[in-house]
Amino acid sequence: MSPLLLLILLPLIASLFIAAGANARRTALGAALINLLAAIVLFFRYDLHKGGWQFVSQWHVLPKLGVNLILGADGLSLTMLLLAALVTFSALLVAPKIEKQEGLYYISLLFISAGVIGAFASIDVLFLYGFHELALIPTFLLIGIWGSGDRQAAAWKATIYLGTASFVLLIGLVALYLSMPPDARSFDLRQMHDLAANTNWSPARWIYILLIVGFGTLVSLFPFHSWAAPAYASAPAPAAMLHAGVLKKFGLYGLIRIALQFFPKEITEAVNPFLIILLIGNIGYIGYVTVAQKRLDWTVGYSSVMHMGYIFLGLAAFNVLGVNGAALLMFAHGLSVAAAFALCGEIRQRTGTLDYCELGGLAKSVPVLGLLFGFVTMASVGLPGFANFAGEILVFFGAALSFYAHGDLIMLIAIVIGVWGVVISAIYMLRAYRNIFWGPIAARWESLTDIAPTARYSVILLLIPLMIAGFYPQFILKMVGTVLH
Amino acid sequence: MPTLANYLLASGILFAIGLGGVMLRRSIIVIFMSLEMMLSAANLSLVAFSRYGLVNGHQNFNAQILVFFIITVAAAEVAVGLAIIVSLYRARQTTHVEDLDTLKF
Amino acid sequence: MNISMIAWITLLVPLIAAALIVLVTRTSKPLASGLAILSALVAFVGAWTLFIAKTHGDFLGFNWINVAIDLDHHFTIPLGLLIDPLSRTMLVIVATIAPLVFIYSLGYMKEEEGYWRYFAGLALFLFSMLGIVLADNLVMMFIFWELVGVSSYILIGHYFRKNSAADAAKQAFLVNRIGDFGFMLGILFIWLATGDISFASLNPEAGALQGQPVMLAIGVVLIFCGTVGKSAQFPLHVWLPNSMEGPTPVSSLLHAATMVAAGVYLLARIFPLLAASPQASEIVLWIGAITALGAGFLAIGQDDIKGILAYSTISQLGYMVAGAGLAVSAALPMFHLFTHAFFKCLLFLSAGSVILGMHHEQDIWKMGGLKNKMPLTFLAYLAGMLALSGCPGLSGSFSKDLIMAHAWADHRAIFWVLVVGAALTPFYMARQASVVFLGSPRSDHAKHAHESPMVMVLPLLLLAIPSIAAGWGFVKNIFFPEALGSLEEAGHLPWFVEWIFISAFVVGIALAFAIYRNPAKDPLRIPLLANRFYIDAFYDWAVATIQGGFARLCSFIDRWFINGILVQGSATAIWFLGFCLRFLQVGNIQAYAFFFGAGVIALIYVLLTVH
Repeated sequence: MSPLLLLILLPLIASLFIAAGANARRTALGAALINLLAAIVLFFRYDLHKGGWQFVSQWHVLPKLGVNLILGADGLSLTMLLLAALVTFSALLVAPKIEKQEGLYYISLLFISAGVIGAFASIDVLFLYGFHELALIPTFLLIGIWGSGDRQAAAWKATIYLGTASFVLLIGLVALYLSMPPDARSFDLRQMHDLAANTNWSPARWIYILLIVGFGTLVSLFPFHSWAAPAYASAPAPAAMLHAGVLKKFGLYGLIRIALQFFPKEITEAVNPFLIILLIGNIGYIGYVTVAQKRLDWTVGYSSVMHMGYIFLGLAAFNVLGVNGAALLMFAHGLSVAAAFALCGEIRQRTGTLDYCELGGLAKSVPVLGLLFGFVTMASVGLPGFANFAGEILVFFGAALSFYAHGDLIMLIAIVIGVWGVVISAIYMLRAYRNIFWGPIAARWESLTDIAPTARYSVILLLIPLMIAGFYPQFILKMVGTVLH
Repeated sequence: MPTLANYLLASGILFAIGLGGVMLRRSIIVIFMSLEMMLSAANLSLVAFSRYGLVNGHQNFNAQILVFFIITVAAAEVAVGLAIIVSLYRARQTTHVEDLDTLKF
Repeated sequence: MNISMIAWITLLVPLIAAALIVLVTRTSKPLASGLAILSALVAFVGAWTLFIAKTHGDFLGFNWINVAIDLDHHFTIPLGLLIDPLSRTMLVIVATIAPLVFIYSLGYMKEEEGYWRYFAGLALFLFSMLGIVLADNLVMMFIFWELVGVSSYILIGHYFRKNSAADAAKQAFLVNRIGDFGFMLGILFIWLATGDISFASLNPEAGALQGQPVMLAIGVVLIFCGTVGKSAQFPLHVWLPNSMEGPTPVSSLLHAATMVAAGVYLLARIFPLLAASPQASEIVLWIGAITALGAGFLAIGQDDIKGILAYSTISQLGYMVAGAGLAVSAALPMFHLFTHAFFKCLLFLSAGSVILGMHHEQDIWKMGGLKNKMPLTFLAYLAGMLALSGCPGLSGSFSKDLIMAHAWADHRAIFWVLVVGAALTPFYMARQASVVFLGSPRSDHAKHAHESPMVMVLPLLLLAIPSIAAGWGFVKNIFFPEALGSLEEAGHLPWFVEWIFISAFVVGIALAFAIYRNPAKDPLRIPLLANRFYIDAFYDWAVATIQGGFARLCSFIDRWFINGILVQGSATAIWFLGFCLRFLQVGNIQAYAFFFGAGVIALIYVLLTVH
């Protein structure tokens, strides 16, 4: 029994049990816990010396067309799988008491988890895509039914926008497939690698652009980012954690695996300046949009869009340093934004509002929540000691190296704006922290209950790997380094 | 001797009359009859082709077989169609096609 | 136990203490402070051991980042400890002052809440500061630079229930970050130019810097931005006076003696690059001099006992930065850093003693006559004040006069700027001494003030010793060996230069005692000075208007243009298309039949005519 298949099937089987009437929360938590332990075991059992794809297993589906269910993992996938398992378990822990249709709630969360794990574990591109689609509709349900604020509009906007992007992506992937020579066509990544290495297969530029737009929208690349902030603001905390923390990273994962691998240098270098302009939009423009926000959920939502700009900067640098930094930053950001949304949900649960004008001085009544939020603030601001800093600094070095090698002015502008972005993120995160937790406390917040132990451990579960990777980034870098060179 | 053209002309006129009936008559029954007329016109032209479109000196019997298919299909269609018309009459109390416009924008 | 292990223990014990305090000691006051003080004492022993053993070496801990670029090359960011004369001296400064301040805090913070937070923050700060001192490469120093910033944030925001403290902490972090923006760009620049980020290999002739004075200047100025932020130089000085919102021991340790001095330490570390670039040195020199003079003026207009000292600190940091800009040797600014650390820390701690005695009243115009109520504090304060003012024979005069002497030799304009500042210093210090300690009490608190407990007074008296003696020849030679650079006089100085210094001191003090002889309120009220040259107000306006305005503009564009027109617009367009197509459903069966027939004919036509 392939361990990766187990990782995918467990949430689905748990969903079946929940549908049949088992205790939703306990079943879901049990499945997620087993998944987490399995992911950790797989992470450490990966043979670094051998490298390449391991734990591979294959089932034929449409062999003539080259479509097979192939599961396997290498360093990058295992890092992402670990992230997915951590965030899933943490998200399920933070889930509050659900009044209506508890079963459907947990089933939706489990489906998102299964989808994302399947996507990261697939070596077959079509199944990679398919598993991601599995996670799209549950998101719609979660936001639309159990969300807050303008949830219906947000749910519709996010789903249709992401659905359109997925469609564009599908066209790109099929076009990529069709551009392969007819006798060697396959959706298998390994065969695509062989083809790229041994023949002069060079897909067209419009396919590259389609893939970037498709994957990019899934990652909220400027200007295709409008779905993100409203969706995260309205989503219930566990859904936001899974989506912003893990599902978004799928787009970046796809970019690294597919878009950046198979296209000839001329095409990637020609498109790069435009990509850099877009990511400057992410960091600079969205950064200031975040500064203008007056509510915590919108701030964190927009900030997650902004931080994607850094990961794109690492990818646009197109060298080992940049891409490794991007991968590390994916892991780090996934954990930190998940923790941020978890705490956001906790605050909303207690006070019913996330508006800076209404909150204030909460550190007196909920000190542990304040302390944890302080950690999360410092992580997303890029304080050394958290993996975010390590990822960002590698991205900066990679981008600098790329500028040195190619000398294009736009990369220099991107680096300057990127480093300034560190100041921008400090502005809005510290403002959020000061307005929510510091200052004199209003009478109505005096008697709030502090964060419960389960939620506490959930956030700590996310913070600990973040700090481990912050103190010792090689822990992640040596895994992704086997892939990204 | 009548040539192929004569038969085709007859078939065409029949088809045109039927088409006119479908387009212009208000009663559903009459539209239906005109539809049958169009099918008959098609049958006529098929038989004509069978008789005159010789293949290796023999008639082209494929067309005559197709005529039987068409007759069968027409019969089935009439059965279903008349059933629909009857229930439509029961629901709407009218056979005027202009009165059936609930699926309008 | 070998030397490198001692160095690592010195660095890491405060971190472990901080972690333990956070995790374990939230309910036990003695445990929290005990752990912190213990870690400071361990650091003290470790630092002096390294100093006495004259350790010299670059001890690699591990490669924090190690990415293989190709088969032969690796990109590494190591974490290692560089112990050379410069770091040994700085280590001694930090590790000697820290335990004194920690012990003082026992008395000062006895009644305060958030005890464990305070000591955890102090321990974290000690770890971060030691990291800056011991760092062997630019990135590692940047890491600890940021950590020092967050410790400062935690400690300034200790009384976070007060709006002013919360805002001050936020401002400190953000202004420092702006400096760090330049610092980071400078690191990238130097790395690109020379391929190396370690201090030991800094070489103005390396790689792309060779024969490129402009490039070298750009790199140095970018790194100097970090100093401008951390050491509160103009124009990023506004956070330091506001940082006085933190508890006074914090102000003394971080914002007077050590953290703000880290900027000067950075300049000393990159001294080979700084000295090789006349353009960069010039910029550094002028910024330091302007800061020294400007802050000196502003100190005159302050009414808060800590505010005067804060601007004094900014001014003295200006002297240090100017000393670095003179590009004589790394030892010149470090010498003033050395003496300043002791007497400024002393001054702040005595101010803290006064504040405690006055039940947390900080306005000097409510004090008076405290010399009789708090004699020991007054004696200690006097030592610090005379040292700072440049009284001949005390430590401050040696270091400050040396900087000014070199300015006379190299850069006459700067000399006069610094001399005026040197006259202002005794003026505002004597003003403070006169208003606070002399004369008669101006309020009830002052009438009933009493001396602070021994746990606070003892560090004061201990700090008075180096305040007096730290500039003397033999002390200087121990802590500033030849290897650090020359601290000799700048050639031949005319006889009157020395007299200029002495008269600046005398005139300043005399004038202050004359004006401020037991006044009821300030006879010299200058709004320009009291309002901090309106720079703070300008920054507040600029942030609210320019940054806030730009942010609102971006938000507007995002909401109405990108979201409204493009996204909602495309959705509306599709809806509109559907709306139009709806009109094809005319409801008439015969019309449908007609459309169908027409379509078939068109299809046949297309199929027959298109090849």
